[in-house]
Amino acid sequence: MPDEYTSLVAALKALTQGESPDTVTLPVAENEWNPRPDTESYGIVALEFEVDALHGDNVKQVTAYEGSVDLYSRKKDGAGWIPLIAATLTEHCEGAWSLNSHQYERENSIFHWEWWFQVEE
Amino acid sequence: MATYRMKIDGLDELMKKLKELEEEGEHIAARALYEGAGIVADAVSKAVQGIATEPFKYAKGGHKRKPSPEEKAALMRAPHGVSKFRKRLKVVDTTVGFNQSGYVDVNFNHMNSGARTNYKAFEFKGKESTASSTLRWIRYAGGSEKFGLSKDIGRHAQNQKPVGAIANAINSGTSFMDKQPFFRKAVSTGKGAATARIEAEIKKRIDELDIG
Repeated sequence: MPDEYTSLVAALKALTQGESPDTVTLPVAENEWNPRPDTESYGIVALEFEVDALHGDNVKQVTAYEGSVDLYSRKKDGAGWIPLIAATLTEHCEGAWSLNSHQYERENSIFHWEWWFQVEE
Repeated sequence: MATYRMKIDGLDELMKKLKELEEEGEHIAARALYEGAGIVADAVSKAVQGIATEPFKYAKGGHKRKPSPEEKAALMRAPHGVSKFRKRLKVVDTTVGFNQSGYVDVNFNHMNSGARTNYKAFEFKGKESTASSTLRWIRYAGGSEKFGLSKDIGRHAQNQKPVGAIANAINSGTSFMDKQPFFRKAVSTGKGAATARIEAEIKKRIDELDIG
């Protein structure tokens, strides 16, 4: 597992808003389904597939992986988590990330943001 | 559907030579782009076949579901090859994907409400048309098919779903369905091969014209 990804997951799981005692934590599930908790917002982070690799001496020297971060929120503005997630991605993936889509599920009244990122090992 | 933009860099020398050819150069560039986009389109077709499915069930009470075989079949049948080329100023571009794949008739709500009845689907032959009496193939769940006027299936119009929306739900996931990023994977992993094909195609034509 790439170190960059491990640190990204740890940082996302540690995301909080507000000062104690009103601190709000974003529930983040890693690589697995988050069974729709009764929270206003939750996130999913996953490392998905290998994009490319640099070979040398008959072995993979550098491997690039792609993954995604999803934020589901019942608030139109993402309950303030969007800039925090963007800052976390910048910190751990440098420039190799992008907001891929912003969608609204009418049937469930929930907003969905999806970022993709690339990390190397 | 979410858009993935693939920009080819690192062909400056070749593009410089093509510019000297003016109109012929544009044709060569377009032909090379077509070959490269074809590789991505093929990768998407292959990726669609790898989508995991399960028989349809409603995703209620916090449970998730996978795409149904009918939804996967809709993607496999829908046209998603290289679209018409667009030329804007000196830039030629094209798209690959499901945004212009029209609609599929599903008699259940692919989200999580509504009553499910027998599944029926039709596929477009040729270009999508909004005309009310276009001839279309109608394929039924039992495997039978018939070629008829679209007005014959007009009563199902309210059940039509954009193929692009189904592709997007599978590719990006929803609050009740795990994502299977088949499209993003096809674009990300196919970029290298597509770039190489474009470069090879341009070099081949330049060699043929003997302007290197």
